[in-house]
Amino acid sequence: MNRLLSIEELEWYRNKILAQQDEGKICLHVCMTGCRAYGAADLRSALEAEVKKQGLSGQVEVRSTGCHGICAKAPVMYIDPLGVQYQEVSPEDATEIIDLTLKKNQLIDHLAYKDALTGNPIYYRNQIPFYKKQVKRVLGNCGKIDPTNMEHYIAAGGYQAIVKALSRMTPDQVIDEVTAAKLRGRGGAGFPTGIKWGFARQAAGKPKYIICNADEGDPGAFMDRAVLEGDPHAVLEGMLIGAYAIGAEHGHIYVREEYPIAIEHLKIALEQMKELGLLGENILGSGLNFDISLKMGAGAFVCGEETALMASIEGKRGMPRARPPFPAQAGLNGKPTNINNVETWANVPLIIKNGMEWYTQVGTEKSKGTKIFSLAGKVNNTGLVEVPIGVTIRDVIFDIGDGIPKGRRFKAVQMGGPSGGCVPAQYLNLPIDYDTLQRIGSIMGSGGMVVMDENNCMVEMARFFLSFTQSESCGKCAPCRLGTTQLLEILTRITQGRGRIEDIQTIRDLGETIISTSLCGLGQTAPKPALSTLNFFLEEYEDHILEHRCAGAVCDSMVISACQHACPAGIDVPNYVAAIAADKYEKSVEIIRERNPFPAVCGRICIHPCELKCRRGELDEPVAIRSLKRFASDWYFDHIGKPKEPFPVTKTQKVAVVGAGPTGLTCAYFLAKMGYKVTVFESQSVAGGMLGIAIPEFRLPRKVIQEEVAYIESCGVEIRYNSPIDAQHTVNDLLEEGYHSVFIGAGAQASKRINIPGEEEGLAGLHYGLQFLTDIRSGKEIQLKGKVVVLGGGNVAIDVARTALRVGAQDVQIFYRRTKEEMPAWEKDIEEAIEEGIVINPLWAPKQIIHNGGTITGIEFMRSMTVFDEEGHSSLSVNEKVTQMVEAETIIISIGQAPDISFLSKDSQLERALWGSLAVDENTLATNIPSVFAGGDFTTGPSIVINAIASGRRAALAIDKYLKGEKGRVEIVDEKTAMKEDIGLALDEETTEEKPRIKIQLEKPEERVRDFREVEKGFSKEEAHREALRCLRCDLEEK
Amino acid sequence: MEPQEIDWRKFEAIIDKHRVETWALIPLLQDIQETFGYIPEESIETIAEALNLFPSQVQGVISFYAGLSMKPKGKYVIRVCRGTACHVKGGRSILRFVKKELGLDEGETSSDYQFTLETVACLGACFLAPVMMVNRTYFGKLSPPKLTNILAEYGKEKGEDKNG
Repeated sequence: MNRLLSIEELEWYRNKILAQQDEGKICLHVCMTGCRAYGAADLRSALEAEVKKQGLSGQVEVRSTGCHGICAKAPVMYIDPLGVQYQEVSPEDATEIIDLTLKKNQLIDHLAYKDALTGNPIYYRNQIPFYKKQVKRVLGNCGKIDPTNMEHYIAAGGYQAIVKALSRMTPDQVIDEVTAAKLRGRGGAGFPTGIKWGFARQAAGKPKYIICNADEGDPGAFMDRAVLEGDPHAVLEGMLIGAYAIGAEHGHIYVREEYPIAIEHLKIALEQMKELGLLGENILGSGLNFDISLKMGAGAFVCGEETALMASIEGKRGMPRARPPFPAQAGLNGKPTNINNVETWANVPLIIKNGMEWYTQVGTEKSKGTKIFSLAGKVNNTGLVEVPIGVTIRDVIFDIGDGIPKGRRFKAVQMGGPSGGCVPAQYLNLPIDYDTLQRIGSIMGSGGMVVMDENNCMVEMARFFLSFTQSESCGKCAPCRLGTTQLLEILTRITQGRGRIEDIQTIRDLGETIISTSLCGLGQTAPKPALSTLNFFLEEYEDHILEHRCAGAVCDSMVISACQHACPAGIDVPNYVAAIAADKYEKSVEIIRERNPFPAVCGRICIHPCELKCRRGELDEPVAIRSLKRFASDWYFDHIGKPKEPFPVTKTQKVAVVGAGPTGLTCAYFLAKMGYKVTVFESQSVAGGMLGIAIPEFRLPRKVIQEEVAYIESCGVEIRYNSPIDAQHTVNDLLEEGYHSVFIGAGAQASKRINIPGEEEGLAGLHYGLQFLTDIRSGKEIQLKGKVVVLGGGNVAIDVARTALRVGAQDVQIFYRRTKEEMPAWEKDIEEAIEEGIVINPLWAPKQIIHNGGTITGIEFMRSMTVFDEEGHSSLSVNEKVTQMVEAETIIISIGQAPDISFLSKDSQLERALWGSLAVDENTLATNIPSVFAGGDFTTGPSIVINAIASGRRAALAIDKYLKGEKGRVEIVDEKTAMKEDIGLALDEETTEEKPRIKIQLEKPEERVRDFREVEKGFSKEEAHREALRCLRCDLEEK
Repeated sequence: MEPQEIDWRKFEAIIDKHRVETWALIPLLQDIQETFGYIPEESIETIAEALNLFPSQVQGVISFYAGLSMKPKGKYVIRVCRGTACHVKGGRSILRFVKKELGLDEGETSSDYQFTLETVACLGACFLAPVMMVNRTYFGKLSPPKLTNILAEYGKEKGEDKNG
């Protein structure tokens, strides 16, 4: 190809290329950049071989292209002009693709994107949800053209922008256009590009330089890599335009050496440009002289900082220097230099070619255009996305990214890499813009978005980022060199369980100092991940330091295995699972009872935080820990039942417990185990608290509760029934009777009222959830008929609805103010309710209860939904104009409970907290009266049973300390049981065959609604054995 | 296996190639690193002389950049990514596993010069986390069984005494 000596010659060449294009040809666009890391090269060879074999080389082109964006599904290929996109394609699929799709127009299901909800295949790219909210401008050619073939770029309109600039615009006009387009630096700082160009243009000194910063060092960012690999000419043309505008003669691209494909494609592109005369002297006859040379980074993150980068180009150690002077005044070799990021350069040809009016059609007020983000971490569709500036974070992570894998909960997203901050859930509706992100302590940064879920630890993330910046710190200035080392040391200590409460303020002070005194951007931003996680996740830091608890169950020093750590009661899960595998069921139950005296109850109704953290869940599905617990405890009660003898009383002090619910009985059990004489005062005639009152028979049979209570009584705990503690027999009375300590575990059993018109006492047909369940449980005859409306979204509401169905209701519908996904009820219960025919109506709030002559006839609802403001605060918004009337014979209100502290006498010294319960010390559960403690639902409000049990045990330890006269905190850390069962379970397995989780059997829906039989069937012995063998024994792993 | 003997004629040719370049030091060092796997300490004076620099300047640049090394590396350089996305997806356990399998710590080379183990801050293949590179080849979505296979392919038997 001869050198092009003029613009006319370039246009002639372009026309020739366009004419030669074969419109009828089918083109297979195979990504050969990112996907090459996952087998794309073999795929391409297989496709080429197949095309040749079938004699289709004339009609079908197999083209190596750049990135298609949906990298999670690599290898990806697109078929033009059909519009079909296939993913996770193997070389073996080549024949099928040619035979079926190309020759017969038949689409292949297993290669198509699957819809998240329905599982249906989506064959056409423009229908795949991943692409719907994206606007591909900068990535427009990526995935379409062969990046090593310049003709493709030219045919797609490449080098039209430089032609326009050279022939119809003056350099100043070019700068004005870029400024008016409000293009801001895409490297992260967001400085207006046009203005920066203006500075360089006006500066005195020759020769002037242009630099492209392609040192993309942010871990988690790969946008620039994709652009350089997929459409290098776009960047180079941008630099050419910049050179013209500024009056520069030399250009450098500084690419990190860890990007070999980018380097290869850039070298090819530069050669091509030189060959055509688009670089060198007198470019296209315009008089512009400009050359570009490629420089490779040598493994230093700090060289992404502009002054360090320039030092590196000059062959020196990559150490930054102070600014001013800014590069525009004095840069490379002391001459005016303009540095821009890869993505910024790639935007320039689009602005010049299409004009600023077109460019500014998308974006926000101050930042126009699109931004490319690399979505990575705990998100389903990892890959590259290009969106208009101003879309929300929720759009990117949940719509485009399709949310968090395995149904886990979103925790935070790190934006801006190690220079940025984390963005927690309350800001999901924030529009992504340079300024909005800065306000919450983060930055847009280069575009890396790393998503984290509930199984990540934010303290560990901060430590991770500090370890990175500390090792990459160049060492020149003391604040960064020493400061990052100190911050790292503090954060490491905290993750290792050696943190001190003063560390929190130290991190803040140190961080602020490092930010304000460091020489360059690395130091000035290095503390941000620590400061932002501290700001939004302070509790995690405090828990690490004070309680040695890691919310993500990640930090090795405090976590033996994630399951045990996630369990509020700290039960040694792996050992009791191993005991079951070894057929030692009694031992298994004994291990559980070291922390939890209600194994059979929890085996049925616990919401198993352990399973949510189970590492087996990363492989396939979590171990069915709850069901295993049930199996072992059911066996125990069938074969053994009672303990051999009660705990011996070894201490002289006696303790009174108020309330024989899970909290009170757990406290009593452990105190008795420690040798104290314990008496439990229960107001009802049966023990069990909420367990017996509110949880329906079909979820937790009364027999099971009775067996567990009888066991505890046989251990030596005395329960006095029908003995309420109230105005007649007060807590003070108990102390005067000689009890050395009192624990109050009275639960949260008063139903909340909604307070809407029509909610009147004594109305026939109006019930409150908890009372309704209690009445049914205690044997009261309640027969419902006709339509029943249940208000609420928690576990009580679901239990109420299912119970209503079983006592005669013809039709039960639940109405909840928010979405189904926001319902606090356990998902499993919601699904079982729907199976039984219960209808859930989301987004309706009660407006008015309609009654006639003392009987309910219906209820009016109004539209409602959760709304977030920009600050992230949520509130319920209602629309009184959109209403619906629902006829009903019965309305059951189950919107929540509160503790009933009316039993405490008014002059009681006990402090009452805000929402009506008791204020206690979080660690010791002590009230403001020495010797009186309180815990469970009574102090926290309604919670889950395992929390109640953990609270009871904590109280027992605290009371024991108090009675011994010991001061200090109650330390509860994970401990291995002495009754170890050291078999490897899944670790010892040789086979790699799949072992999915054993499904829990349920009674048939149509049969089970007829009565109150237990819905869930337990495991058989064989099933339990197989399931237990799936455990990975994370606790045996060497740290 | 021993690190390869330095072909000093090749070395001279590289120096000549870069001699006339402006700011030639880093490209020259990178070329030597690429060709020989490391920069021999004895060559620093020659390089300094050719580019009209002080030997201390040359040494300073080599020691600053992680990509330049004065220690010979193994035939296969394994770079386990410790970037954010890989970290979030369990990169630590991958590194632990590889360390155990190879019997090497970060920065170490096996005594038979077969393997060098390094970590790298981010390879830019975050969508495939956790990732590692062996020389120029990427491996993504790693797990212990996959790692055993990969290492076996590069000539490492499972459980064999590595530094024997």
